[in-house]
Amino acid sequence: MIVSELSPEELASRLASPGLRLRTGPVVTRIQSRLTSVVQGVALHYAHYAVEGEGSFADFRVRVASPHSLRRWLKPQVYFHFDGASPFLPLPANQAFAMLEWGLNWCVSNHCHQYLIIHAAAVERSGLALLLPGPPGSGKSTLCAGLASRGWRLLCDELTLLDLATGSVVPLPRPISLKNESIDVIRRFAPEARLNPPVHDTVKGSVAHMKAPEQSVIRGAEPARPRWVVLPRFERGATVSLEQQSRARTFMRLAENAFNYDVHGRRGFELLANLIATSDCFECRFSLLEDAVEALDGLARRT
Amino acid sequence: MSSLSALRWRTTPIDAIAWREWDGEYVVRSERSGNTHLLGPLAGRVLQVLLDASSALNSDDIAAELSDELAATDAAERKAAIEAALSEFKRLGLAEPVQE
Repeated sequence: MIVSELSPEELASRLASPGLRLRTGPVVTRIQSRLTSVVQGVALHYAHYAVEGEGSFADFRVRVASPHSLRRWLKPQVYFHFDGASPFLPLPANQAFAMLEWGLNWCVSNHCHQYLIIHAAAVERSGLALLLPGPPGSGKSTLCAGLASRGWRLLCDELTLLDLATGSVVPLPRPISLKNESIDVIRRFAPEARLNPPVHDTVKGSVAHMKAPEQSVIRGAEPARPRWVVLPRFERGATVSLEQQSRARTFMRLAENAFNYDVHGRRGFELLANLIATSDCFECRFSLLEDAVEALDGLARRT
Repeated sequence: MSSLSALRWRTTPIDAIAWREWDGEYVVRSERSGNTHLLGPLAGRVLQVLLDASSALNSDDIAAELSDELAATDAAERKAAIEAALSEFKRLGLAEPVQE
């Protein structure tokens, strides 16, 4: 069963209690919430995702809820609960869905140590993965959304999971987090993309999530072999360029961008070294998304 | 002669070091510290010479091993650069002077 097969009432009821067991890639999360914005966000963004049975195992149990106090009415806030604990400070109630998304990222990055986890977006074409590691503001998610709108399969927006045995990228396709100007850039670039209304004044500025393309969700169990590592660098006014990068320096960038490189010791070193040895490494400077997508399409065409 | 010149060096046990080289640059992981380092061409070659050596080497031995590759550089400069690399290896736990 997938989420869209539940009626709006069934979805709201299941999210309220006992919780919706949602499969995203290799992860099953039991999500509970009575908040309308969370129900609507799940209905929009997770329509094509599998729902696991109520008695089945869930890797994580999370809840997004208002406090039982006056704060429910006065400047309402929401909390993210994980196994009964609240690992984050509360946020304004209108950020509830964004908080769920950030919380789900936190669950994976802090617990899924069966993978080497890189802070990077990843997309796939012809079985080959293109990794986009980068800090906030580098244009990582914008490029990822642009590529996912032009024929590349979305593997993940934030957390690239590398299989320790095979070195392949294990897909974790989830909504793409767009911030500030990127929201309008994607609206113009891909008018067909489904975005929820932006939430303003978050710690990251204005935030809207773009729904993952349906095909990327349907093919969510198909791994992809890393082939390119592209360090995105958004620079206002820059002409697009793809400059080959030193493999050793790109290795260090990936290690620095990994959440759990140290956890895996020598195995993590060997995994990253093999990835780098079989990948071409570039920096992509860009200001116009159209040009950057065209340049990266060119990489795939040359292979 | 600097005080470093007299010292003979060896790497920490070979299985405590993992390394890869691409286009003259090296990434090196020390099992002892758990840290990974980026080494430039000279430092990387010095480490390789030490890893390949069957006994401890001093900076003159290493300079002799690398004489073909570093023929264009001044001998004193070459030796100073090798000794700087050895000092850095000591700090990083990649190599150590042998007590004689």
